[in-house]
Amino acid sequence: MAEAQLDTAQAERKLAYVNAITEGVREVLLEQPDAFVAGEDVAGAGSVFGYYQGLLEQFGPERVIDTPISEKGIMGLGIGAAATGCRPIIDLMFMDFLGECMDEVANQMAKMRYMFGGHAKLPVTVLTMSGAGMSLAAQHSQSLEAWLTHLPGLKVVAPATPYDAKGLIISACRDDNPVFVILNKLSLALEGPVPEGAYEVPIGKANVIREGTNLTIIAFSRMVHEALQAADQLKEHGIDAEVIDLRSLQPLDTDTIVASVKKTHRAMIVHEAVRFGGFGGELAAQIQELAFDYLDAPIGRVGAPFSPVPYSPSLEQSYMPNAKRIVAETRRLIGI
Amino acid sequence: MTAPLGIAVNPASGKDIRRLVARASVFDNQEKRAIVRRALVGAIHAGAQEVRYLPDSHEIARSALLEVEDALSAEAVDAPRTGSVLDTVAGARALADAGCGAVLTLGGDGTNRAFVLGWRDAPLLPISTGTNNVFPVLVEATLAGAAAGLVTSGRIPLAEAADRAKAISVTVEGEHDDIALIDAVVTAERFVGSRALLAGEMLRLALLTRADPAAAGITSIGGLVRPLGVDEDCGLLLELGPKGDPVAAPIAPGLYQTIGVEATRVLAFDEDVEVTGPCVLAFDGERERVLKPGQMALLRLARNGPWVIDVARTMRLAAERGLYRLDGAARSKRSAG
Amino acid sequence: MTIQATDAVLLDMHERMVRIRIFEEEAGKLMENGKVPGALHLYVGQEAVASGVMVHLNDDDHITSTHRGHGHVVAKGGAFKEMYAELYGKADGYCKGRGGSMHICNMEIGMLGANGIVGGGIPIAMGAAFAKKYRKTQEVAVSFFGDGASNEGSFHEAANMAALYKLPLILVCENNGFGEYTRQDAHQAIVDVADRAAGYGMPGVVVDGMDAIAVYEAAGEAVARARKGEGPTLLECKTYRYYDHVGVRGMGLSYRTDEEVEHWKQRDPITMLESRLVEQGILTKRKITNIHKRIREDAKQAIEFAEKSPLPDPSELLDDVYYVQA
Repeated sequence: MAEAQLDTAQAERKLAYVNAITEGVREVLLEQPDAFVAGEDVAGAGSVFGYYQGLLEQFGPERVIDTPISEKGIMGLGIGAAATGCRPIIDLMFMDFLGECMDEVANQMAKMRYMFGGHAKLPVTVLTMSGAGMSLAAQHSQSLEAWLTHLPGLKVVAPATPYDAKGLIISACRDDNPVFVILNKLSLALEGPVPEGAYEVPIGKANVIREGTNLTIIAFSRMVHEALQAADQLKEHGIDAEVIDLRSLQPLDTDTIVASVKKTHRAMIVHEAVRFGGFGGELAAQIQELAFDYLDAPIGRVGAPFSPVPYSPSLEQSYMPNAKRIVAETRRLIGI
Repeated sequence: MTAPLGIAVNPASGKDIRRLVARASVFDNQEKRAIVRRALVGAIHAGAQEVRYLPDSHEIARSALLEVEDALSAEAVDAPRTGSVLDTVAGARALADAGCGAVLTLGGDGTNRAFVLGWRDAPLLPISTGTNNVFPVLVEATLAGAAAGLVTSGRIPLAEAADRAKAISVTVEGEHDDIALIDAVVTAERFVGSRALLAGEMLRLALLTRADPAAAGITSIGGLVRPLGVDEDCGLLLELGPKGDPVAAPIAPGLYQTIGVEATRVLAFDEDVEVTGPCVLAFDGERERVLKPGQMALLRLARNGPWVIDVARTMRLAAERGLYRLDGAARSKRSAG
Repeated sequence: MTIQATDAVLLDMHERMVRIRIFEEEAGKLMENGKVPGALHLYVGQEAVASGVMVHLNDDDHITSTHRGHGHVVAKGGAFKEMYAELYGKADGYCKGRGGSMHICNMEIGMLGANGIVGGGIPIAMGAAFAKKYRKTQEVAVSFFGDGASNEGSFHEAANMAALYKLPLILVCENNGFGEYTRQDAHQAIVDVADRAAGYGMPGVVVDGMDAIAVYEAAGEAVARARKGEGPTLLECKTYRYYDHVGVRGMGLSYRTDEEVEHWKQRDPITMLESRLVEQGILTKRKITNIHKRIREDAKQAIEFAEKSPLPDPSELLDDVYYVQA
């Protein structure tokens, strides 16, 4: 926490999440001649989310490369190029498209190094977009991080803030392992302090974003902001919640989580993904394994219901977890 | 009287290494199937009723025939399907035994050469779907089918529709005989390999049945030095090598090379050319046989090749005789009487 | 200007082919005798393809392979010792016992692995070719795959991208007539996979995959094109595997006849090449016998090495899941 807050304090400049992504990628392209960006509509269109805008003009079509709509091909390109000396940044426009390239991700990218007895090194970074809230319906709104965290060999990060988005992209691209950077589409306009120049946010290190004494809310990606709002509201009910932004799901900073729960004795896990079989189940299991005796209440979980993401705004709003649900679930759990 | 129409498709033609080296035409098998189907439509309209076909390993002929099966009675001849040149040789014999009055072949020079190996005086209508296409003609398949159908239905006699082609008979000491329709070539290469004849610097001798400056292949070397027509009763013998006069010739489609021509001589029919190994013999653009050191081969030219149906002439005769007018048959009989 | 196999090249191809044949025959015995764990897919019969292509490649040219990958490793220059050790699952294996037969690799010689997923290597080879072009090298990438893999989406996506970006990629389809136990005519409506090349805007050629010299010439043209920056080629080699989909006798299914197998063995790639080498006076029968003997001895020693090699220590189970910065 210290290093992040220190850097944040130094940064006076505010930047939107979308522009922080651009800056992260730009820093990487500047420092790594073997890095390039490849994906659908990344060059001419600057990504459908706009976060590569200006990079084609700055780095040229050899380093910012539009691909056909061929996710198997794109992912294969990233794997093959990484295994033979490049440091590709692959753009998977929507995380939902993982289904189109799951063999490349699960069977090739994640396992190549291990299967080859450590003789392969795959410095490939995949940027991909997750999350609901824009009425993009069931195939363009999912949060599928659990598909990825289940695969030994991959690292998975999910920045919640502009600062972390830039820093984690830089860390991911400097890492010699395949790293998925899961971005969030509803956070694109979110503003926050972002320093100029290159800096890293360490992969595998959670951020205690708000300190508290009698509840730990563990969240990542956009749910961090819902958790912070919930923490404010819970104060009125006498609960002083600590909020942990995981930032990195794999590797997972279990130490920070456990230390916090040992202090607060209560844990509430929040993610946007479907609750059943979600990453929260793993978190809950680890907490009870490592801090069972410290728990004063059952571990709570807030996630989406067991349903595809709906289209209609009214349905989608009731589908997505938010501060209100976190507060309600916390009060139910603690009995206040 | 009507005879069956024969169909022989070479599934392997138009796919070899020359697609790479020289960007020669690609004939995928869907295209070949479409060509057969169009030719069958032409043949049906010309009066063809029966078809005998060579069962190629890719089932090109059979699948095309399925689309017009109501209009024709079709039967495969008994021939092997090894996927090799032997299929065409044995199939040609079977088509001869079936009494075919004309045969549509799909392939290039090599395909027709293989066919003639099995049936020396076959009545051919060769449609080009190969690489070197000097012997077959570039013609719309519908009309090729029509001309062949007019011959098999007896409405235009073969003698009027076709000419006999020249051929080079090859006798190899201690081995089976061979044939070439356009050119027989001696090269200093050592192996048949991918078959394509691409190494101009290795050429040593070429015997041509025709020397055509408007064709691609070894024939063009002669054609650019001393043209010789299909109708002339002689051949052209070229001695080739690095010391000869350089000629820039398209020795394969899309591939010009500088060939040294050391000597040129018009060769009379039945004049033997003797070749001694080690060398490789190439026929009609493809490396075919390895001659071991000291092994001898004789090349002999004569007008004893297949009959080749001339589509333009046949269709002109059909028009003159009113064969496609609705009362054409009656008028044809009157004028003949 | 055209590609002519010199004596040295012919001997080199022959050596590689015999090495593959002997490696695989011995590997088959090890599997049938229960000496090695897992499933081996043997390359016997297809030797001319791997060898005819690989003699054109250098260590910095990369290949991807298939589940039937031993032949590609041997032809690319893999060592018997580390290969057998890997099949045994031993610590001295190329993958330290982590991968086995279906993931055998050697990055030092540009061998990007066998692959257990049919078609799995094709996009990876395309990516390697992309890197080679990006880094402005003269290197090429080659992907070996079968007729079965040509029906996978990965083939089509990679072929399209390779042609689009004009990558130095050679797609070598080893058409052995079967996708596992299913005959080609039951898995695709075409016979020549090379016909698919036109749909992607690249040349496709068919070559006799039992004839090493024919493969050598065609592959030479394709590799030369790629090195000159003229883009990818689809090279279809018509070939046949003598042994079963898995192992030697495999599951004993009657999906093909003994006559068919015998028919292909009449055109055995090694026998055909050897008879030409003898005809041309490049080798004598005696020398050929000696080559086989020497390689058999290599295999024997390598198997002894593999037998003696230690099993990996379970304490190393989690090593190499991730790269750890030193």
